[in-house]
Amino acid sequence: MHESAHIVYHPLPALLVLWPLISAAFVYPLGRWRESVRDAFVVLASGVTLLGAVALIPLISTHHKIAADIPALLGRLHFVVDPYSMLFALFSAFVWFCATLYSLDYLKHEQKRDRYHTVNLVVLSAMLGVVLAGDLVTLYLFFEALGLVAFLFVIHTETEEAKTASVKYWWMTLIGGFALLGGILLTYALGHTGAIGPIPLTGTTEALRWATFGLLILGFGVKAGMLPVHVWLPDAHPVAPSPASALLSGVMIKAGAYGIFRTVTALFRPEVVENVSEELWHMSSDFGLVVLWIGIATMIVGVTLALGQSNAKRMLAYHSVSQMGFILTGIGAAGYLGAHGALGVAGGLMHVLNHALFKSALFLGVGAVFYRTGELDMYKLGGLWRKMPLTFVFMVIAAAGITGVPLFNGFVSKCLIHHALVESFELHHVFSLSVAEKVYMLTCGGTACSFIKLISFVFLGRAKTQYGPEVREAPPRMLVALGLLSAAIIAIGVRPQVLLKGVIAPGLHAWALHSDLIDHYLAESFLGLSDIMSVVIAFVIGSVIFVAGMRFGLFHLHAPKWLSINYYYLGFSRAFVAGCVNVAEWYARWLAWASHTLRSLRLAYRSAYARAARNWQRIIATISTGAPGPRNQHFIQRAYVALERERQSTVRAAVSNAHAWLRTRPDVDPEVARATVESVRDIASYMAQRQRDQRMTVLAEMVRTGEIETARYRFDDALMEVRSFRTHVAHTAIEMAERRMAGEDVVRDISAEVNRISSEERFDIRLREGRRTIRPVLTTPYQLTTRTHDLAAAPAVLAEWRVRGLGRFERAARWVVEIVRVVVEATTQERSSWLMSDHIDAESVLATRKRIQRYARDMSLNMAVIIAMMLVFLLSIAVTMNR
Amino acid sequence: MQSTLVTSFFPPATVFLPLLGTGAAIGLGRVSERAREIGLAVICAIVVVLTFAVIPGVLGGTVYEAHLVRLTPTIWIYLRIDAMGALYAATVSLLWLLAVVYSAGYMRGGHRLTRYYSFLMMCLGWTLGVAYAGNLLTFLLFYELFSILTYPLVVHEETPQAMAAGTKYIIYILIGGSLVLLGVVLTYFISGEQTLTAGGILNAAMDHTALLAIFWCFIAGFGVKAALVPLHGWVPDAHPAAPAPFSAVLSGVMVAAGSFGIMRVVYQVFGVELLQEMGVMPYVAGIAAFTIIFAAVLAVGQDDLKRRLAYSTISQMGYVALGIGLLGSEATIGALVHIANHAFMKGTLFLCAGLLIKRTGLRNVSEMAGVAKRMPVTMAAFALAALGMIGTPPLSGFISKWYLGLGILEVHSPLYLAVLLGGALLAAIYLLPIVYVAYFKQPPALAGETELEAEAPASMLVPTIIAASLTIVLGLAATAPGLPYSLAYLSAQTFFP
Repeated sequence: MHESAHIVYHPLPALLVLWPLISAAFVYPLGRWRESVRDAFVVLASGVTLLGAVALIPLISTHHKIAADIPALLGRLHFVVDPYSMLFALFSAFVWFCATLYSLDYLKHEQKRDRYHTVNLVVLSAMLGVVLAGDLVTLYLFFEALGLVAFLFVIHTETEEAKTASVKYWWMTLIGGFALLGGILLTYALGHTGAIGPIPLTGTTEALRWATFGLLILGFGVKAGMLPVHVWLPDAHPVAPSPASALLSGVMIKAGAYGIFRTVTALFRPEVVENVSEELWHMSSDFGLVVLWIGIATMIVGVTLALGQSNAKRMLAYHSVSQMGFILTGIGAAGYLGAHGALGVAGGLMHVLNHALFKSALFLGVGAVFYRTGELDMYKLGGLWRKMPLTFVFMVIAAAGITGVPLFNGFVSKCLIHHALVESFELHHVFSLSVAEKVYMLTCGGTACSFIKLISFVFLGRAKTQYGPEVREAPPRMLVALGLLSAAIIAIGVRPQVLLKGVIAPGLHAWALHSDLIDHYLAESFLGLSDIMSVVIAFVIGSVIFVAGMRFGLFHLHAPKWLSINYYYLGFSRAFVAGCVNVAEWYARWLAWASHTLRSLRLAYRSAYARAARNWQRIIATISTGAPGPRNQHFIQRAYVALERERQSTVRAAVSNAHAWLRTRPDVDPEVARATVESVRDIASYMAQRQRDQRMTVLAEMVRTGEIETARYRFDDALMEVRSFRTHVAHTAIEMAERRMAGEDVVRDISAEVNRISSEERFDIRLREGRRTIRPVLTTPYQLTTRTHDLAAAPAVLAEWRVRGLGRFERAARWVVEIVRVVVEATTQERSSWLMSDHIDAESVLATRKRIQRYARDMSLNMAVIIAMMLVFLLSIAVTMNR
Repeated sequence: MQSTLVTSFFPPATVFLPLLGTGAAIGLGRVSERAREIGLAVICAIVVVLTFAVIPGVLGGTVYEAHLVRLTPTIWIYLRIDAMGALYAATVSLLWLLAVVYSAGYMRGGHRLTRYYSFLMMCLGWTLGVAYAGNLLTFLLFYELFSILTYPLVVHEETPQAMAAGTKYIIYILIGGSLVLLGVVLTYFISGEQTLTAGGILNAAMDHTALLAIFWCFIAGFGVKAALVPLHGWVPDAHPAAPAPFSAVLSGVMVAAGSFGIMRVVYQVFGVELLQEMGVMPYVAGIAAFTIIFAAVLAVGQDDLKRRLAYSTISQMGYVALGIGLLGSEATIGALVHIANHAFMKGTLFLCAGLLIKRTGLRNVSEMAGVAKRMPVTMAAFALAALGMIGTPPLSGFISKWYLGLGILEVHSPLYLAVLLGGALLAAIYLLPIVYVAYFKQPPALAGETELEAEAPASMLVPTIIAASLTIVLGLAATAPGLPYSLAYLSAQTFFP
């Protein structure tokens, strides 16, 4: 590349970027100290920046390109300034200076002025960083900083409206930033080195190039307010304070335009040498066409929506979208025309500059109106030209600029873009491009209409409201800012040659484009009849739309919600976040389900295991010892019932004894006799209960200590033996009843008597030391079970059988029957839990009794069936054997 | 670059000095709380100096080593400082210093402080041992020690949640550790070699099945620690339960120990060439990509701030794993740099979360409206770290994303770019709303209490601010010699000749 030899290193670009950043650090301390000092300081800081930008002019005119490095981030931040960069830096610094000057008065109504001024300088630094960047990483760094810090501009007023707008702004900027990062990374995949220069076009696929181009355009386009990612712009720009709106709309969106400009004309183009073959421009021309059509769509949609607005700042914001469409069309045409795209480049760049001037002037002017009247609704103002004549004049100048009135700056750039568009059509005579040209004219008409509307509603006509004394000319510093911008508008409008020849032509030359087209334009067409006619046509269209709109109320029509892109974005982003939250919830639910399932599986396993273990134990016990569990339990149950019966018999015996005794004493009063009997029943029942409990305790103790077999053999006998104590109880009861009737307290004596009885009775000794004979005493229902229960007594039984001389066959049958019975019993009944329980009430005793009776009956039936079956079986065997 | 082996006192001194700190934690605790806090901070500072002191030498090509104990005639407990280890160790020690200083404010008046401090110091030693391990057995030894001895710190609060989280942690870690052990044994069995070398100690002539088995044992084993997605279960429970300073180191460097282990295995046990031949790394990259997106999506749905940050850690460790899985030199640089960058960003976020809990009692994102008015400095640090996490230039997160991005394109798989940027976008979705509501949403009108200035005392605020400013330094001066990039670059040079 032949330019590389011309690159001269100079610290100025780096200083230009760093100076506002360093100044920003002083804003807070100064603001805390003296507001006026801070105000002076910020004006000074932006003024010095402007001077620095101006100082670039001689450097560039001698060296064409200068570079600078700051060692940071990925090695270095690299800056390269060519004429285009210089142009951007110049107007940015200029508009910034005006807006800063203007903001001093405007912000008197606002809070957090220190924050505003800090942000102001930081964003200025970022903006200069973007346009002076020499490689894509540096550009990306400042581009992100610009977008993200400007968030604080948008949210500055902290009203609800501002918050909503700023959130939308933030997310779109962020997503745009990611797209841009992706695009920049992909340029590396295309074999690029990151410099702002042509990407090698060989050795990679078409799809990858389109993806790269798409991501870059999307990333820059979000900032530039390009369709269809413009939706943040009309919300964000109006809610900021007016000087910030002017910067956002006038300058910052140009960072996006700058990016698209560089993408189309610097990245995706052939090597920068003279006379490249037309073939190599092929891709550049495709990409240019895409940008051109995006530009056309953006301009017409922007202007249409602008016509429907009543809020003046919102209308201006929509015009920013529309005007960005003009710029994109110019850039697109430049790309499409390739080596002959000089008019597109010139038109696009001129319009960037012009738009910066007139749009910031318009925002500042509307801001001045708002500053005095507090009103932004166009339909509620009017007649202000008397009250604010200078503001009115500046606004008219700016409006003339944007509508393209000859001798104002917009005229030149719009005509250049128009020429580029016509030239594009004439290149291949593609029909659609002639449609694009018509749309372009229509948009110019719409713009004219829109500003006729703005000026006439706000400044002309009658006032819709009564203005107070506070509505007067704007403060001088605001007017100076507006004046500077207006002067620039007129200067460029009158002498565009300075810019076109001084800045743009050298730039074209540096990028090896044919700059003679510019000279041709200036010589032939500038202020020529056809250009002036096209402006007249635009104004005619504009007037027609204005009249029609006023007559039919078209300006108050609103498109249905589903037509708005915003609506879909909002829906999509909400659905996306909701989707994320849903996934998290499903995941949490799944985790809960999984852990629940695991837990219940564990529980199921445990209970299954326990059941299996219990069954196994039972089987083992059954096989090895003949089911001690159920037998013991039965024994205890049986014993309890027997003891309970004994208790009842004891009470009965005492009562009948009392009756008998009373019968021997007929002199006793029947009332007293009845009372005595009751008393006897009471006492006897108490004593018998104590007896029963003590006997039961003894029994339980023996079971617990493993002497159950002894107890089992001795129980019935022992119970028979202790019957004799019934009489003892009966006598004691009568004696005690008598004493109680006499009014004595006998409780202690009764207890003593019970204790005496038990120590005489010694139920435990009786149980342990009796004879070993089986003597069933209980009556029928129990007999069978009692008898057949005693498997452990098998040796005795066998001995008996031996004595009786049973046959071997019979003995075997009996043994089988016995085993079957035990197994059936053991596996059909759980071990009782109340085996050792001390809490037994009458009800449960009765229930248990019933259960036992039923069980015994069932068992005997079962036994009978089984025995019958066995007999049939054995008989049949015997019969068959005999045959 | 020609490297020279130098036997030096640096490795053992660095590893065992923190064990001295364990003793100091017990001994000085008897004197006074203040003495212990100062003493431990001093010890940590000395460790920081030691870990940084070796960096110039390492950059100059010197490899410091020390043979400590001879277990068998062929196996030593062997420490060695290479570029990768030096990078990790410097990150570990610096974050630990910040956490210990922060603990002075955060833990003061808490229960069982002696246990807390002694285990904290002990784990520093073991973690540095992991960084400096020169052979697999040494690595395994320190890895297991620090994994298991972290348990008392995880359950420090002794609440039921903490105990449950601790149980979960120890089960996961023991299973992972067993797999690593299996991998180490198998490696030794088939190669007879232990020392980590740049070309790898396994080669393609060995049994393919065994190689695959070893590889997946290591990936699964270290993957538990590195929180690769199906194995991440312990992370979101352990972080909210642990005390904030420990959460910071847990998230910042301990989880990264797993990624570090994977790196050791990939670059120094298998070697790049063998893995390219085996063709298994695309699977690792796929798992990592899934981890990035899935964990980030889950993070969006969390209301508990620390839990959200824990999921974020899983997602960010996915980036490191992706960088390893791509098996390219730029991606390796990205992965290594991201370990260091992430440590300080996530450290800042957890320290801020701790401050929020300590000073305002707010744990949930939904309660954070207007909290920046009460704690402006804390939230500024939080915002900075959040932006860094998203990858906003010039903060450190951008550097790692950039090199990962270049790495993705280096190996010609541009679709992973969508994962890289998608993960960053999701990070924005789960972090930035916190910042936004803290600054711009009106706090609920509580009875005057919310008006209170709740900014934390300097002992906690200073470490937080330092961690946050490291996010800027590591971004703006990323390529300065001695910072992560230079060490990562040196490592990548050795692994990709």
